[in-house]
Amino acid sequence: MEKVITGNYAVSYGAKLARAQVIAAYPITPQTSIIEKLASFCADGELDAVFIKVESEHSAMAACIGASAAGARAFTATSGQGLLLMHEMLHWAAGGRHPIVMGAVNRGIAPGWSVWTEQSDTLAQRDTGWIQYYCESNQEVLDTVIQAFKVAETVYLPAMVVLDAFVLSHTSEAVDIPDQELVDRYLPPFRPQWKLDVDDPHAFGALVTPGEWFELRYKIQQAMNEALEVARQADEEYGRMFGRRWGLVESYRMEGAEIALVTSSTITSTAREVVDELRAEGLPIGLVKVRLFRPFPLPDIVRALTGVKKVAVLDRNLTFGQCGVFGEEIKAALYHTPLRPPLFDFVLGLGGRDVTPATIREIVRYTLEHEFPDEAIIWIGVKR
Amino acid sequence: MPKHEPKVIVFRSEAEMPPMPASVATTLYNKTGSWRYIRPVYRERTPPCNEACPAGEDIVAYLGLVADGRFAEAWEVLRRENPLPGVCGRVCPHPCETQCNRERLGGAIAIHHVERFLSDWAAEQGLVPPTQKPTREERIAVVGSGPAGLSCAYHLARKGYPVIIFEAESLPGGLLRTGIPAYRLPREVLDREIAAIEALGVEIRTGMRLGRNLSWDDLSSYAAVFLALGQPLSRRLDIPGEKAQGVLHGLSFLRSLNLGQRVEIGRRVAVVGGGNTAMDAARAARRLGSEVTVLYRRSRAEMPAIAEEVQEAEEEGVHFHFLATPVEVLAQDGHVCGLRCIRMRLGEPDASGRRRPEPIPGSEFVLEVDTVIPALGQEADWSVLPEDIRRERGAVVIAPTGATTRPGVYAGGDLATGFGTVTAAIGSGKRAAIAIDLALRGEFPEFPALSRNMRVAPRPTSPEVVAFEELNLAYLYPIPRPADRPRPPQERLDDFGEVNPGLDRETVVAEGQRCFSCGTCNRCDNCLIFCPDVSIRRRGDWTKAYPVYPYFEVDYDYCKGCGICASECPRRAITMEEELLWRK
Repeated sequence: MEKVITGNYAVSYGAKLARAQVIAAYPITPQTSIIEKLASFCADGELDAVFIKVESEHSAMAACIGASAAGARAFTATSGQGLLLMHEMLHWAAGGRHPIVMGAVNRGIAPGWSVWTEQSDTLAQRDTGWIQYYCESNQEVLDTVIQAFKVAETVYLPAMVVLDAFVLSHTSEAVDIPDQELVDRYLPPFRPQWKLDVDDPHAFGALVTPGEWFELRYKIQQAMNEALEVARQADEEYGRMFGRRWGLVESYRMEGAEIALVTSSTITSTAREVVDELRAEGLPIGLVKVRLFRPFPLPDIVRALTGVKKVAVLDRNLTFGQCGVFGEEIKAALYHTPLRPPLFDFVLGLGGRDVTPATIREIVRYTLEHEFPDEAIIWIGVKR
Repeated sequence: MPKHEPKVIVFRSEAEMPPMPASVATTLYNKTGSWRYIRPVYRERTPPCNEACPAGEDIVAYLGLVADGRFAEAWEVLRRENPLPGVCGRVCPHPCETQCNRERLGGAIAIHHVERFLSDWAAEQGLVPPTQKPTREERIAVVGSGPAGLSCAYHLARKGYPVIIFEAESLPGGLLRTGIPAYRLPREVLDREIAAIEALGVEIRTGMRLGRNLSWDDLSSYAAVFLALGQPLSRRLDIPGEKAQGVLHGLSFLRSLNLGQRVEIGRRVAVVGGGNTAMDAARAARRLGSEVTVLYRRSRAEMPAIAEEVQEAEEEGVHFHFLATPVEVLAQDGHVCGLRCIRMRLGEPDASGRRRPEPIPGSEFVLEVDTVIPALGQEADWSVLPEDIRRERGAVVIAPTGATTRPGVYAGGDLATGFGTVTAAIGSGKRAAIAIDLALRGEFPEFPALSRNMRVAPRPTSPEVVAFEELNLAYLYPIPRPADRPRPPQERLDDFGEVNPGLDRETVVAEGQRCFSCGTCNRCDNCLIFCPDVSIRRRGDWTKAYPVYPYFEVDYDYCKGCGICASECPRRAITMEEELLWRK
């Protein structure tokens, strides 16, 4: 069934179809309508879940951890400052191997206050041990929430489904809502092997000495490595069952491309338009969209970018004192390839500044005009 | 507790380990309680109702039982402290409710209704207190069978003493019988509560008046004497014409009426005074069909009568004339034909803190009445007391134990305390009973001040009274107090039947459940649920036995002293204490 819904509602429907059993959340713009919708699903009896109102995002994640530890499928959603307040618990969720899924709406970090989109909030959580997906459309958001549960529960790591504030969260699109029965077949009930159980008691999260700690970290990394393959299979299986797949890294018009734009989230849609126009004008240009960011899909990135002459990475984020996060990571990924193409890292659209086709064309122009980038960060649109 | 030895498990590789830090053998050997520097202690604190009850009732305990519908146990808890709950539930001005912390979230608990319900319920069930044979040899004499005397006799009897009450009137009960009209206190309630005291072995000899057919020599053969003579003499008006026919003192009027004697009053009655006797006289006179005007020299705000009594009197058509006082009783042929009065105004505050009424010159007026009932307060009859029993400011001087200046003689009630309420009299009798028992056992502990109540049950009491602000309001919601449903005023005037029919069973249970249980564990399980170390356990089975105290225990082997139990306790029944205090 198709419905015209916002990106936020796509998150809510995704969690509902996944039959989340415990939802603990605290409202924050631009996430609020996600949990409002889920609260009304719970209130109307459309979703058989416990909705826990909490006093902070830290508590929201703590409640999800408790629920997940007890064997429930747990879901939450947040944004910006709320995600930062969760930080300690994000580590706990991953270290405790609780496969919680979260809708994370990108929002600039204060001060000054911003409610508009920027990836710095979620990218600041890249080292917490969470799986991260960055979504381009409302349909992709809904499908990814369902996939994320499958991947998370297979490898016992939590997962974030990331979407842009307003550009996606509050913009309506036609979204296919899959049949519940089909989703149930794709995503069976969560039955963890280790859980809080009075008949089989274990103490969770206690002190671990240097004799075991190292191994536990190793196992998280192993799980992340495994997640890459699991995510690939989950996406393929989804494609077989629902007729849609999104890939971990998507190559768009990359046949014979000499210049590759590397994008994530909604900037991708704008870039697709420009790529089409430039291809029509005869320019050998293509686009590589990074959907899965953690675990980092290194082989997919390398494969997609092999053979291009120049790489232009579009970063709607910034790690102060370095450069854009995608730029940094893709640069590192290309280090071991035989031909290391020059990589231009463009920082643009921060705090919700519009990214238009003209912006993308400016990036392409710069890339064509320069053999190498003049600066570690090429600032697009900053008034200086 | 079994001894827990650490079990050493060596993982040879990460593959043998669980994915997350989870224990694979018992962790009980790790006594995390050693990390604690403060410990939670179930230390109940006094709820304001218990603190306020002059009779020392354990109100919070019986409300808790009532909340569970456990009336029989509630009745036992109640009756253990007070032998006259049916009386108190009707006539006590319930200071417990004035202090109730619930007041601020829906209105005070209707404690007096619960109290009278339990008494009436027990009577309906035919619950009779077990008869008891004296276990002590010392015989005790109680003079006066009002609330103080009955209470003292009851508590002594329960402690095993043979007790004899000497009562001057032909029926026992003192002022409860002669002073309080039946519409406030039905006779059968009083009779059954007195009968229950007699069933304990207390002998009541009526018609025995001290100074007439009972002498101090007679009393000297008893191991101890408790004097509860009350204040039987009415204060006079001290104005011209007071001797005229038709001037009838409030207490004499009520006494005749209440003992079923013939009383004649006129069609128009003036009652003088603003206390409870004035209200009783006025409302009784209305029931006899008279027009009644109450004359009070101050304003409504200064009236010592219980506010509900004043309101009900007004509903019943009693007229009030505030700021006026009589100056002369007018008589014709020796019979009252009017009352000359003068208007008053309030001047500077007097010793009582109330503004002193002063006459307004030239403001005299005449009330046309044929009966005048002065109700200006009472005095003790000092003629029957020997000189060595000291008295001061209209009351017998007593120590906190109730002991007078004559060895072996104790006193209570209006004669000694001057507190002027039934409940205070009950409390003074109980206190003296406790003191007499201890003295006869050769113990003389320090007694709390007279203003504080005393409990006979061994449940611990605390000097700390829980304030509203100390409660954890995250768990307490407003719930309204049930409305009183008195009979309509017109119907009330037809007879001396009870004005207020009380509350039904469901409402009473709801009142028990509405109680915050301030400072008193009511097994809400918050501590048990919130304890992150699973270190709180239930003790005993509350559903089968009362009391189980405390209801929970802390496993100090593992409690880390985080204090969550104490902060999440809605009623502050858990205290965090320095561990060092316990290590000494």
